[in-house]
Amino acid sequence: MKGIVFNLLEEVIRREHGEETWDALLEATRLEGAYTSLGNYPDQDLAKFVGAASVALKMPAEEITRWYGRRALPLFAERYPQFFAAHKSARPFLLTLNSIIHPEVRKIYPGADVPDFQFDTSSKEVLVMDYGSKRKLCMFAEGLIEGAAEYFGEAVKIEQPKCMHRGDEKCVLRISLQKLDS
Amino acid sequence: MRAPNFTAEAGFMTVMASPALFPQTEPERLKKRLERERKARLDAERIAELGMRQLFMKQKELELLREVATAANEAESVEQALRMAIERICSYTNWPVGHAYVLDVPNGELVSSVWHLKSPEQFESFRQVSDRIRFPRGIGLPGRVLDSGRPAWIQDVTQDDNFPRANLAKDIGVRAGFGFPVLVGKEVMAVLEFFSDTPSEPDALLMEAMGHIGTQLGRVIERKRYEKQLFHNAFHDSLTDLPNRALLFDRLNQALARAKRYAVQNKDYLFAVIFIDLDRFKVVNDSLGHLVGDQLLVEMSRRIQRCLRTSDTVARLGEDQSEIHTVARFGGDEYAILLDDIKHVSDATRVVERLRKELQMPFNLDGREVFASASIGIALSTTGYEHPEELLRDADIAMYRAKALGSGRHQVFDISMHERIVKLLDTENDLRRAVERHEFQLHYQPIVSLQSGRVAGFEALVRWQHPDRGLIYPGEFIPVAEETELIIPISEWILREACQQAHEWQAQFSGLSPWSVSVNLTSRYFARKNLLQEIGSLITENKLDPCHLRLEITESQIMQNAKTISETLLHLDNSGIGIYIDDFGTGYSSLSYLSSFRVHSLKIDQSFVGALNADEKSAAIVRSIISLGHSLGLKVIAEGVETAEQLNYLRALQCDYGQGYYFSRPVDTATIADLILQKPQW
Repeated sequence: MKGIVFNLLEEVIRREHGEETWDALLEATRLEGAYTSLGNYPDQDLAKFVGAASVALKMPAEEITRWYGRRALPLFAERYPQFFAAHKSARPFLLTLNSIIHPEVRKIYPGADVPDFQFDTSSKEVLVMDYGSKRKLCMFAEGLIEGAAEYFGEAVKIEQPKCMHRGDEKCVLRISLQKLDS
Repeated sequence: MRAPNFTAEAGFMTVMASPALFPQTEPERLKKRLERERKARLDAERIAELGMRQLFMKQKELELLREVATAANEAESVEQALRMAIERICSYTNWPVGHAYVLDVPNGELVSSVWHLKSPEQFESFRQVSDRIRFPRGIGLPGRVLDSGRPAWIQDVTQDDNFPRANLAKDIGVRAGFGFPVLVGKEVMAVLEFFSDTPSEPDALLMEAMGHIGTQLGRVIERKRYEKQLFHNAFHDSLTDLPNRALLFDRLNQALARAKRYAVQNKDYLFAVIFIDLDRFKVVNDSLGHLVGDQLLVEMSRRIQRCLRTSDTVARLGEDQSEIHTVARFGGDEYAILLDDIKHVSDATRVVERLRKELQMPFNLDGREVFASASIGIALSTTGYEHPEELLRDADIAMYRAKALGSGRHQVFDISMHERIVKLLDTENDLRRAVERHEFQLHYQPIVSLQSGRVAGFEALVRWQHPDRGLIYPGEFIPVAEETELIIPISEWILREACQQAHEWQAQFSGLSPWSVSVNLTSRYFARKNLLQEIGSLITENKLDPCHLRLEITESQIMQNAKTISETLLHLDNSGIGIYIDDFGTGYSSLSYLSSFRVHSLKIDQSFVGALNADEKSAAIVRSIISLGHSLGLKVIAEGVETAEQLNYLRALQCDYGQGYYFSRPVDTATIADLILQKPQW
């Protein structure tokens, strides 16, 4: 897993809960926590952070993952504004994940294992997105999508009629977006 | 739509803030944070350096590939391309030894080709040993690459159990090695190997780059192969793959130049050109088809080459004789051999003898046995030739001379042939003019009925009143006319003239018993489509009774064209024009054809009549022809009757007509008129 994921996690925690909280999580997971965006780190590190928070909070891990995604998105927007600037709503932004954003990620981080989504755009109301990464981070995806909706001032409803956590081959995210009245 | 759920955050705050989880003091925590930051920075730097190094290597690799590609495009030979590639790769990898093998295609073996050694004195023995070793498929580094068609890497050759040069490598400090193939399609055409003086782990990226270079070099080989093929095609006959006329010309030019050089140095040097023309090839082609004809040509070329390969004609033993000489095909059924550097003309005739022996064996074409013979002409370089054309021309003349003597013969060119040809050419030019200037005239020789002793007809015989050479007989110019189209206008003139004469005589000789004028025609004229029409209009124009006109055609010509002529004969006979078969007994008649032809008479060749008294065989032939003719219901005319004895003999055999000096030589029309007035009887 790319170091950027941990950098953003650290930043989310520190911004919202202070440095002590991040220190406390590192203590709890016994992880060293020296992450650089150029590096690659074990997938389990993220799981450990999420696990520690889940135990401490007596909260389902997936809720925590989703929260992280939602909070990470604005940070992505701060670091990489060019991916957002071209769009006025979440749907076209999401659709550039495969075509623009992930190819760019691969250029900066050769060998980055970014997921390849499959979109079904046949419905105007519901964007259907297939997610099949072996990391099974569908909740992180949900959180990011929620964050994107929030960023573009939209309300979002996400359903997962299929989920790898429930034994399906892949996760299917049905995303309904609606512009909020300003 | 639901609003984002913030429950989790609230929980974090509560739990994380719990003092039980923070046993450290503030300075400790700060110190730890600083350590984390430093480590992250170092990691980042390390990763960035690694990335930059990879980028650098990748750039170098691209540069190498580009250099190889450029050099490969510019290389004038495969060897040059290999040499350049090895140098570049050695410089790129900083490995001291680079070596290329190329595949010796016929043997399927790798042959050492190009080396690059950083320090030659250190690796010279390695080079010598490598040059000597043969690497079959699968053996050693090159053999492995040859077998698999893939790159191979040996971490330390001294530890490898499939590296024949291991002991030497240990002594002189050769350690890691890798090799890769130069591929054309899937074929390994060359193998490159490189050695380092230290053991080294396989480098996947390097191997991949080498794969690209192998492909580039493969293209050079392919291109050179293609160029070679194009060049080859330009100078070889596509059917037999023998050299063509252009290549033979080139070799002849070289031989001529050498002859000049040696002449100055007073050295002996002789070469010969042998011109070979298959006899009756057209018959094979027409009767068995072009595919079988082609097979014959290919097999023929093999036999010619065999005659040279086993040749003992040249003193330079141990060399492949076929390398010295050149066999070329000129298209059609003509071949030429340049027999280079021979001692004597007998060397050439010996090759020809051998060829004749080869040709005695039948050709097996498409399951069919076909016999062939060839007419062969030989020209020697002794005659002081300047140009290849002259040599070929004279060999060709000699070949024609040989063919004229009968099939399966050979002739060595001599100057008399040239003179004869020149004379023929002169004759041809003069003939052309003679047609325009009406230099021909007809003489007539009486044909006498042996029963009545009276004149029964006249054979029209053409004479040429040459302005310089005087009167020329047909034997001298008709063959030349037959070889050119001139025979047609000449035949036309003869026929027209004879018909006009017959018209005059029709009035003059009205009281005479049946008579006719006979005209000699060649098969070439006979084969004309509008022949019947032309003769028909001549008869009408001259108000001629067709019974006064006879046409003569020789036995050999009528038999050669039996199928096409048979119908014409039928038409002529139906219109009352009789046909004589001339020179009967000298050709080969098919009796079945003869019985089916509608002809009037057989004319016994004068050679048999002339020998009647001297030669019992000739008498027997004359007897047989007369009896054959009569049994087929034909009349028989004896030519060349010169004595009373002959006449009596022929009468006794009931020969129908006679012709010859005994009665009258061929004479002009005025003389004929006088003769008729005298009403002679023999």
